[in-house]
Amino acid sequence: MNALLTKLGEAVEAGKVDKNSPFPPQLKGEDGADELASQALTEGVAPNDILTEALVPAMDRVGQKFSENKIFVPQMLMSAKAMGAAMTHLKPFFQSGDVQTKGTFIIGTVKGDLHDIGKNLVAMMVEGGGWTIIDLGVDVNEDTFNQAISDNPGAVVGLSALLTTTMANMEEIVGKIKGVHPETKILVGGAPLNDDFRSKIGADFYSPDPRGAVEYLKELVA
Amino acid sequence: MGTVSIRLTPLGKELKVKKGTSLIDVLHEYGVEFPCGGKGSCGKCAVKLLQGEIVCDTIHLNAIRKLGLGSDWRLACLSNAEEDLVLEVGQFEAMIQADETPFEYVPAQGYGVAVDLGTTSLVAQLVELNTAKVLAVETGLNPQRKHGSDLISRLEHALSHGSAGLERMIRNELGKMLSKLLRGRHIDPDKVLLVGNTAMQHLFSGLDIKPLSYYPFESPRLEAREFSAKDLEWDIKCNHIRFCPSIGSFVGSDILAGIFATGMWKKEAYSVLVDLGTNGEIVVGNRERLLCASTAAGPAFEGSRISSGMLATTGAISSVEGKADGITCKVIGNTPARGICGSGLIDAVAVLLDRGKLGEFGEILSGEDHVILQGEVGLIQKDIQEFQLAKAAIAAGLFILLRKLGIKNEDVADIYIAGAFGTYINLTNMLRTGMMDFPMEGFHKLGNSALMGAKMLLFTDSSTEENILSVCQHVNLESEADFQDIFVEQLSFNQSSS
Repeated sequence: MNALLTKLGEAVEAGKVDKNSPFPPQLKGEDGADELASQALTEGVAPNDILTEALVPAMDRVGQKFSENKIFVPQMLMSAKAMGAAMTHLKPFFQSGDVQTKGTFIIGTVKGDLHDIGKNLVAMMVEGGGWTIIDLGVDVNEDTFNQAISDNPGAVVGLSALLTTTMANMEEIVGKIKGVHPETKILVGGAPLNDDFRSKIGADFYSPDPRGAVEYLKELVA
Repeated sequence: MGTVSIRLTPLGKELKVKKGTSLIDVLHEYGVEFPCGGKGSCGKCAVKLLQGEIVCDTIHLNAIRKLGLGSDWRLACLSNAEEDLVLEVGQFEAMIQADETPFEYVPAQGYGVAVDLGTTSLVAQLVELNTAKVLAVETGLNPQRKHGSDLISRLEHALSHGSAGLERMIRNELGKMLSKLLRGRHIDPDKVLLVGNTAMQHLFSGLDIKPLSYYPFESPRLEAREFSAKDLEWDIKCNHIRFCPSIGSFVGSDILAGIFATGMWKKEAYSVLVDLGTNGEIVVGNRERLLCASTAAGPAFEGSRISSGMLATTGAISSVEGKADGITCKVIGNTPARGICGSGLIDAVAVLLDRGKLGEFGEILSGEDHVILQGEVGLIQKDIQEFQLAKAAIAAGLFILLRKLGIKNEDVADIYIAGAFGTYINLTNMLRTGMMDFPMEGFHKLGNSALMGAKMLLFTDSSTEENILSVCQHVNLESEADFQDIFVEQLSFNQSSS
């Protein structure tokens, strides 16, 4: 594999955004994901290879470490930020069709709930898994979800709830989505949830961590 | 021979034991002490039977009667587990404070009762209004706890099962406590003042709790509620029972009382009040304006999300010190450690940081998945992360409120730490973790400021409450656009300076 891609993967895994970013201290002054992605493109590496050989495996390693409690939210967000810096260089190729994403993932925190850290982590990890993300934000109702699905046929949906009181809203939204788009796959997550609840409300998949969602989506399009 | 299960509340532990096992063998592990050595004479090992039956022999029955315990109480030292049981381990009450700090007051006629209706604990004080003397104190545990130890699960129960049951539970319990408080005194209190968080106010008063459960989290019913003893079906005589007004949906009259107790609502200098209880309320400001917010900080400090977490009872590591030759732990009751409580957790994190055992993100630097503190008790990586979430919640809350007021940390003159747990924390270590960032000399540990404030409010009329409320402003931290960024930033630790 291209040495630049290996370095880029390592930069993303370590959360090194660009040359000037102070974090992590041991990579001070070195090129970050921003510079490395740009260099790779200049050297003629195919944008799709940058995504699938550097970014996706790096975020996969990050997800693995997170689910093993080896890293925590701040490190994961730094990695996601580094990935985002690399992605900005790839964005034009997504739009031109030179890079194929695996699909579209619509995500939002259910109505009545304002928590967005978990939702953002999942969005970043799924994006790192090679998906196009449509983030509807927090306090999202069923109509907004259904509209987004109509606008993006074949999209997969992720619902987040962090309060036991808003889990009831999640149930309602799953019902309303399945009512209009019965074929749409729905993933659910959030601290108070479990797989029993997932099955009770008729959603398709639950994972206690973002990595599970990425794995499930990978299977879905395999 | 079969096994039976014993569930212990509020510890949330479930034990499987051989049928017929003596409770004395099992419960010692969980903070129940047996000072009289199992003779049934001291009553210290009394546990409340919530489910299942423990049949008493004559000796046991007489002992219960002699100690004045109710029919649902058992002495663990005389009990065997013959069937599945749910027990309330009342030893937890030792933690509940009844404050007697002196204060200024205008003498009045008659008697008043101040009640702190907490999510976890209940305290009532009978006060002689002429002397401000506390004549009697009753403590108890909130019976609603069996439907969830934190507010959200309590609200969820009310949403799915209706709130009438919870209302009846707390009214009955307080009614019983007040009867006990007044028993044999031939006193009819002139007034009873209750303070508590907004959810407790709603559940006690029979108000709709839906507005407290969903965004935008705004209840229209924050005002004071008035009752007579007859309304509440209490067996005492009193026509002026008042639940004091809440400040906002997540900041209740317990904090209003705390503000009153600190005097921060009358001062020109800026003060901070932090209640390190189940909800982690924060107040920042001065006589012009007091910003109030709540954070989800409680669970880690109360042990419920920590792998070896426990309440501050026998066997809990309550403090940790770094010495040249390693780490030494102080264990409550001087027994081998079997868990760690909130104050110990703060110390442990601070000591581990200072000794270079934890990195900037709380990662255990040895590469192992845990750190041993004493014996078998230690912290796993996830425990450190739970602590980080709690400390970041407080730190981010303080940051946002100070910023909204346009002031800096050094503009704050006094920092009041309320809540029973706050009394036991080591401030130097707390500062080391980055939970707060104020000079040491500004700190005051208040203990139960809600109860103290409620007692002081007995000597005022409702205009005092109105005056305090008029400068209070409720802030929903999560609706601040950059709350997430600030919160995530606060999850990290400052690297060791040494």
